[in-house]
Amino acid sequence: MVNGYTPASLREALELRSRLTVTPYAGGTDLMVRPRPDDCYLFLARVPELRHIAEDEQYLRIGAAVTFTEALEDERVPALMKEALSRIAAPAIRNAGTFGGNLANGSPKADSVLIEYVADAKIRLASLRGERLVDVASFYQGRKRLDLAPDELIVEVLLPRAGLERYVYQKVGGRSALAISRVSFAGVFAEEDGKITNIAAAFGAVADTVLRYRDIEGMLLGKTVDEARALRGEYLRAYEERMVLTTGRVSAEYRKRVCMNLLGGFLETFGI
Amino acid sequence: MDAICFTLNGRAVSYSGSATDRLLDVLRGEYHLTSVKCGCKEGECGACAVLINGTLYNSCCVAVGAVAGDSVVTLEGFRETERFAVLEKAFGALSAVQCGFCTPGMILASEALLSRCPHPTEEEIREGLSGNLCRCTGYNAIVNAVALAAKEGDGLW
Repeated sequence: MVNGYTPASLREALELRSRLTVTPYAGGTDLMVRPRPDDCYLFLARVPELRHIAEDEQYLRIGAAVTFTEALEDERVPALMKEALSRIAAPAIRNAGTFGGNLANGSPKADSVLIEYVADAKIRLASLRGERLVDVASFYQGRKRLDLAPDELIVEVLLPRAGLERYVYQKVGGRSALAISRVSFAGVFAEEDGKITNIAAAFGAVADTVLRYRDIEGMLLGKTVDEARALRGEYLRAYEERMVLTTGRVSAEYRKRVCMNLLGGFLETFGI
Repeated sequence: MDAICFTLNGRAVSYSGSATDRLLDVLRGEYHLTSVKCGCKEGECGACAVLINGTLYNSCCVAVGAVAGDSVVTLEGFRETERFAVLEKAFGALSAVQCGFCTPGMILASEALLSRCPHPTEEEIREGLSGNLCRCTGYNAIVNAVALAAKEGDGLW
């Protein structure tokens, strides 16, 4: 076909990616909003190695070309991820949109990517040179800047299987369906023997990338809920000072206010 | 170069243009299927919805190269079915159409919904049609029409 390739395997896709200048095309829902008609598209939706959802001991592995609808129908996908996926756009978009595409588009508003940040997900990348595994937070180097070489493709997302049971997810948009996030928030909480073992908080759509501050989270790790409650003011002030937000469709001030409200609500949900 | 071959409303076709062309533009420009409406070109309105292998997609967000080997159905193809007759009657009976621009997309979204869920609740209908905007009807008539079609067409889906 003219201006397009439909590789039958990952190997073939990587060979094309390495030899030619091609634009990876998975679901098309972001790419076709600003199409590149003179590019050559590498159609990845049917590459079998990108289509699986599989489990290993530690991770749920979601192929880059798995669609949001497919993930919503899979009982192994955690509730937190499903809650975010179910709020993406509308059925026709979820039927096409993929995990790999959401990542590669590079937007800080990507709803599945927010969950990958808060869950400490990893991304598997491949090229003819080999494979590598990167943390989602290091995959994003800035606005639309990805740790992805010109000959690489995203193969799968590795989502930890345990520890995502207690969470808060909020998407603030202008309407319920077809909404692009104005502010999105995901928080995950875990405690063991009365001590907080995880209190991850991630903010989407408010800066160049999803934001997460592990050092501030560290203030409450190892504490009891009562001890954490005593540190609540200090913890919130640390976020307030650290979060430098950008103005986009809505102002930075509005975003900051909403982020702080959502963060406070997250703490309250778990008694802090 | 090989052309892009796919099935369009049950007929085999081959498209020799660029794989990067929008399916929406190809359906309207090359095959003159004008039920497929261009509303927004960014996946926000659902007026260009088509069924690809039975699944609902917005054809504005699909490059034609992506449908090689697939079966694409537009309203022109779907209207030959008994299911369409039931939906048409229900939409007519409840005045679920005003200007008609969103209607082809609404009908195909209804078909996609009823195929998965033959007896939807009101909430499921609203969710199933949530990607299709209508500026005339206020939606209630459309939602009621889909519920009526599900009832009248019991057993068809």
